[in-house]
Order: sequence, then structure tokens, then C-alpha cells
Amino acid sequence: MHEVSIAQSLLQIAVDSCKKEGYKGIEIIKVKVGKASGIMPDALSFAFDAVKIGTIAEKATLTIDEIPVSGFCEGCKSSFTVEEAYVLSCPLCGNISIRVETGHELHVYEMDVF
Amino acid sequence: MKVKVVSHILEANDRIATENRKLFNESGVYVINLMSAPGAGKTSLIEKTIQELSGKLKIGVIEGDIAGSDDARRIANLRIPVVQINTGGACHLDANMISEVLDDLILNELDILIIENVGNLVCPAEFKVGENMKVMLLSIAEGDDKPLKYPLMFQESSALVLNKIDLLPYTNASIEKIKKNSLSLNPKLKIFEVSCRTGEGIGKWVKWLQSLVK
Repeated sequence: MHEVSIAQSLLQIAVDSCKKEGYKGIEIIKVKVGKASGIMPDALSFAFDAVKIGTIAEKATLTIDEIPVSGFCEGCKSSFTVEEAYVLSCPLCGNISIRVETGHELHVYEMDVF
Repeated sequence: MKVKVVSHILEANDRIATENRKLFNESGVYVINLMSAPGAGKTSLIEKTIQELSGKLKIGVIEGDIAGSDDARRIANLRIPVVQINTGGACHLDANMISEVLDDLILNELDILIIENVGNLVCPAEFKVGENMKVMLLSIAEGDDKPLKYPLMFQESSALVLNKIDLLPYTNASIEKIKKNSLSLNPKLKIFEVSCRTGEGIGKWVKWLQSLVK
């Protein structure tokens, strides 16, 4: 259940930046969660709904963009995207000289405030 | 109204981890974050390491468990400074939990601080605590499918200690498969094969630790 710690952290980030700018409340918080980050979106939403109570984000919804693991293969010079949470070799040519470019994201990127 | 914020969710934790790390560096103590599933032998590996390094390096231990203090008692029996953290349900240690107990240890007097994380193959990999390196322990009896089932743990660690190799004849686990998949996930991973029960392989592991500290 480390999604609770993650939910608390993202709530803190949202509430702090909202207060700093002088807004009264938050309607939507948008986060990017990479598939290789180890975070389960459903568990994160569930945890968020529990920790937001009593804060200025009480009525906020959490929008989670799940980012797949993708990268570039130095062997066949192609970009690839995989379904799994990890990639061992290029899914196109099997070469292991790959650069993973996305999939480890875990950040807040936008909010709707009032 | 839309507001752009670009903020890493674990930023608060990482900030405290950086402060812990600074304190560790100033005190001249090398810090290991030891992670594994429950029952893989983390406390046994720490006991063996302490015994091997007795009189050579000064070791301190932070024990992380959801509840109880059995592990801390085992370490205290070896006359080693130890602090027990009970997370009260949390499945991992975070930087703040570590920061809060650092006053209970005299860091200047230590060469190595081993932080035994909560037994769990998932969450501990995501939270930095200020360590110099993460070490993962996997016991042979857990099966050779673990690297691909819990990739993050293997990717984040600097070393992988394979414990309970004395049980190899009694399991279907292939040590070669574990090594091959672990190295595919993390080519820089340093792998050790040990048995905390028989003591096999402990010497190599301890020698490597010594080379990092001195």
C-alpha cells in the first residue's frame, strides 16, 4: 500500500502550489504515472480519495495518464513501445543496446483550480 | 482555471534523503539499504556480516519492520548499536522515518550503517532513504522467476545477494536463470552467492563490502 504515501505526496504538492498562488480549491489534479514506476493506478485513485478528505482538494478528481515503457534501439535505429513494465531487449530486432526513454514517470503536471 | 505544475511526486522524500545522505557523508559512514521479500534472510545476512567484520569495521543497524522488535534483539545480542523502526503498517521505509531515528545512533563512530528495509519486493525500491547503495537479497527458495516479476527492485540495486544456496539441490530454481535475467535488467549488478546457514560465500561478500568502505 505505498500508493497511500504517493497519494499523500501528490496531494501535498497540489495543495501547496494552489495555496501559494492564492486559489481556494482544486477540481482536477493530473498526474503522469509510468508503467515501470511500480504504481498501480487503481490503488492510487483509491488512496487519493481517502487522503483528500478535509483538504482544499476534497472535491478534486485525480486524472492518471499511464505512460508505457518506450525507448530507442541503437541496433536497428527504431523506436519501440512495449506492454510490459520492463524491457530487456529491442522487441523488433532483439538487440540489447537500447535506451529506455519513458515509463518511469511519477509526477503532477497540471491542475484545475478555482 | 488550469495551472501547470511540474513536480515529481517523490520530491519531498528525495529532499529528505539528500539531507540524510549529507549527514552520512559528513560522519564518514557508508550506508546500505538492504531489501528483500520476508524470510529471504536479511537479518541473518546482517548477523553474518557483523561476525565477519568484527574488529575490522564498526557497524550500526536500523531495523525496519511493520511490527515487533525480534530482529533488533538479534542484532543487539551481537553488541552492535541498533534502532528498531516499526512502520505500523507501511510496507517500506522512507527518508523521513530514517531521519527521525538518526539521533539514536552515534554516526561518527560507525563505518557502515545497514538499514534493513521492510520485507517486500515492491515498494522499498521506490523510496530513497539517503543510502550509498541498495542491496537486494533473494533466496533461492523464492524461485527463479522473481527478477522478471519484480524488475524495479533488480534495476535499482547495486548488488544482488543470492541466499540459501545450500538449498539448491532441493528446489527447481536455476541460479543461471536468475543471474541471466537479473543482469539483463541491470548489467552493472554485482552478484554474490551465499548461504547464511553454512557460511558459504559470505567471505567474498564481506571482502567486497570492505573494499567499498575503505
